[in-house]
Amino acid sequence: MSEESGFEAIPIGMEMGPLEMTLDEDTVASRLELIQWENREPVDKYGVTPPGITINQHARIKFMAWPDLSASIWAKSEHEFLKPMKVGSRIFIRCKIIDKYVKRGRNYLVSECETVDEAGEVLLRSRETSVYVK
Amino acid sequence: MTGVTKPVRTGEEIPSLTKTAYYPIDPDARNVIHTDDYARDLGMRGALVGGSTLLSYVLGMLYNYFGQKWLYHGKISVSFIGGGVVNGDVVTSHGLVTAIEPEEGGTRLKLDVWMENQDGAKIVVGEASCIR
Repeated sequence: MSEESGFEAIPIGMEMGPLEMTLDEDTVASRLELIQWENREPVDKYGVTPPGITINQHARIKFMAWPDLSASIWAKSEHEFLKPMKVGSRIFIRCKIIDKYVKRGRNYLVSECETVDEAGEVLLRSRETSVYVK
Repeated sequence: MTGVTKPVRTGEEIPSLTKTAYYPIDPDARNVIHTDDYARDLGMRGALVGGSTLLSYVLGMLYNYFGQKWLYHGKISVSFIGGGVVNGDVVTSHGLVTAIEPEEGGTRLKLDVWMENQDGAKIVVGEASCIR
């Protein structure tokens, strides 16, 4: 499959996920170390994760959906934080392709992702534009 | 303690946050933009630090400023420009208050946010807002 056909084969409206994730202490600690998060207040005082520590999972969902995807490079990233994510809780991330286009020879995908808790409450809404590279 | 506690005016810059960028290099990374060979083939200086990691640095600055309110009312929109960030780059996140608007539940501060590297080149630019 060529790069064009791989990109062209992705339908607008395609849904990906849900990706289930448990925000246990080890998972949170590992992510905080990776991003050099120093402010202990959210975890120690409020028992919640710092903002955005699950956003890297959005790319993971795409790689799971498209085995021939080699690289996904963010061009634009928008996020609305609605409710904290509790340490120890389970979350579910669902994404959907809402647009795609070609600009200056590059293939762009626009996706929306929603992160919900076990009760189905939306915690985070995201819209991301990324370059699709086979 | 984090969170806005003093009066704020438009034109004010919030406290910046500097990090030495780091992303674990895995030659077998699924996203090959995080491998040296592929990134250099694209003309980059080396494996790129992940965009979500750079975003986390900006979010760190915003959480330090807005505190818990960011987790309920924070909005951010950023674009990634320039040649990206590689391990060892010293990057600083900035935020400048551009508007203060009344909103149900408080006052929403709007900011221009950006990240620049040790050479002063902007690599992330965008906007953020949060109720204070």
